[in-house]
Amino acid sequence: MMDLNGLNELAKHLRLETVRMIYEGKDGHPGPALSIADIVTALYFDIMNINPQNPTWEDRDRFILSKGHACPIYYTALNEKGYFGDKISNFNLRALGSIFQGHPVMRTTPGVDMTSGSLGNGISIGAGMAIAGKLNKKSYNVYIIVGDGELQEGVVWEGINVAAAHKLDNMIVFVDDNNWQSGGAVDKTIGSRNIKERFESFCWDVQEIDGHDISMIQKAVKVAKNTPGKPHAIVCKTIKGKGVDFMENNNAWHKGVPTDAEFESIMAQLGGRV
Amino acid sequence: VKKFSGTREAFAAAMTDMVREGKKNYFVSPDSVGAMRSIPFAKEFPDRYVEVGIAEQASVNVAAGLASCGLIPFVGTYAGFLTMRACEQMRTFVAYPNLNVKFVGINAGLVGGEREGVTHQFYEDLGVLSSIPGFTIFTPADAIQTYLAVKMAYEIEGPVYIRAGSGREIDVYDENSVFNKNGVTLLRNYGSDIVVFASGFILDRVLKAADLLKDENVNISVADVNILHGKNPSKIIELITKAKVVFTVEDHNINGGLGSYISQLACEHSPKNVYRIGLTTFGKSGPAKELADSFGYSPEQLVNKIKNKI
Repeated sequence: MMDLNGLNELAKHLRLETVRMIYEGKDGHPGPALSIADIVTALYFDIMNINPQNPTWEDRDRFILSKGHACPIYYTALNEKGYFGDKISNFNLRALGSIFQGHPVMRTTPGVDMTSGSLGNGISIGAGMAIAGKLNKKSYNVYIIVGDGELQEGVVWEGINVAAAHKLDNMIVFVDDNNWQSGGAVDKTIGSRNIKERFESFCWDVQEIDGHDISMIQKAVKVAKNTPGKPHAIVCKTIKGKGVDFMENNNAWHKGVPTDAEFESIMAQLGGRV
Repeated sequence: VKKFSGTREAFAAAMTDMVREGKKNYFVSPDSVGAMRSIPFAKEFPDRYVEVGIAEQASVNVAAGLASCGLIPFVGTYAGFLTMRACEQMRTFVAYPNLNVKFVGINAGLVGGEREGVTHQFYEDLGVLSSIPGFTIFTPADAIQTYLAVKMAYEIEGPVYIRAGSGREIDVYDENSVFNKNGVTLLRNYGSDIVVFASGFILDRVLKAADLLKDENVNISVADVNILHGKNPSKIIELITKAKVVFTVEDHNINGGLGSYISQLACEHSPKNVYRIGLTTFGKSGPAKELADSFGYSPEQLVNKIKNKI
């Protein structure tokens, strides 16, 4: 078990590797990935019951990155966890022939439980996995990360409805509430900000936390696991681009590639070595 | 196999029999448990019935999630609510990861949708799925064939779509028939000059047309195509090759379904004229028989359409 300090240091390292992957691959979405770095770190290095040596282990906890465009942080976590054998130093993100596709693909990248990237679909797919867990009498949990902008998709609410109706208390959804989407601020685009109330009105168990505080993420998951009978939403207040000063709350980094000079600055900020 | 009152009852019977045989089949219902004639199934096997409410996209996604955990779900509802409303989920979350999900699309065609009208009649489903890699597409011609198709779908690894009706299907096959893995069954053979390929629930009408043409000494055969874009179309190609002229008859738009499939095989293997008989417009409400007659599917009209081209 890694202590809190270790998890925070690891999150910083995964942030650096995420931006490095995009810098070297010359394409990708750094802002959305940095936003969820602490949630992904907590899940993969503390919370989830998984076995990198047996990625399709039937009793494993499942994970779906519904906002699949944030996959560089996912790929770095899987790499650090040991899903690819020897650590990969150059991911060739989005390159022809790479197992690191533009959005996550199951059966292509070891450890990816479900294809994702077309927004809105993770919750209902996760509901299917959670129903299967109950039907198969398994004790695994299903963890899903969705974006706050993504909640505008209608199929999200179909899935939320299904999960509540089936009392899927083995399902925990993290909402990456950074108030940004591709075209601008969520609250100025078309999104309503009362995420907590909306989940609650669908009979979900809901908590609101700081999505960059790993101890709060750990605690919220414990609370969720001890709240039976309802699916769980953990609304995480986050900062898009978190950890790189010029990317924070700057939606120009929704998608973008750092210049050489910018990458130097990123390495200085995140403790990297050339 | 016993007789069924329609393709939906055949689906429910096959699902019930499979559970009793120890199979891992599940029924995912976007409030289609009644439409799929599966209320008795759901009562007898409550743990094999997953209700998601009126939410087709979620029904496909839930099925994808179930399949990713080793279960074998069948999603059944109106053909267009699956292949159009939930098209992307069928493509991206089932076909792309090659998950073991089966689909049964009812109310297919004019005959299937009949009195419901255009919103509940679907003649585009095969066109939509034909362009998605990885789908096995079954087009059974009656209830007995549908029962067999559902059971065969279970045995195939990967996504399968079965086109079904709504109870207006006329039985053509007998109880001892099989669901032909060749994808084609020759049902009339009055000569090989003209071959008519049919798919779906207008097969009885095509057979009657062929019988009428035989009486006029026309050299004609009729073949039922029960698998579209199958892995081994050699039997279909053989029939095309032997014929001088080819016709297709389907209760679907002439683009994207049987007509397109046979045209493609003819072009690539044995080029000759292929005349496609089917829909080119939206349908209308009406009783199945009158509706099909009014859109040109009466045996007499089929006879005339064929005679006009030979």
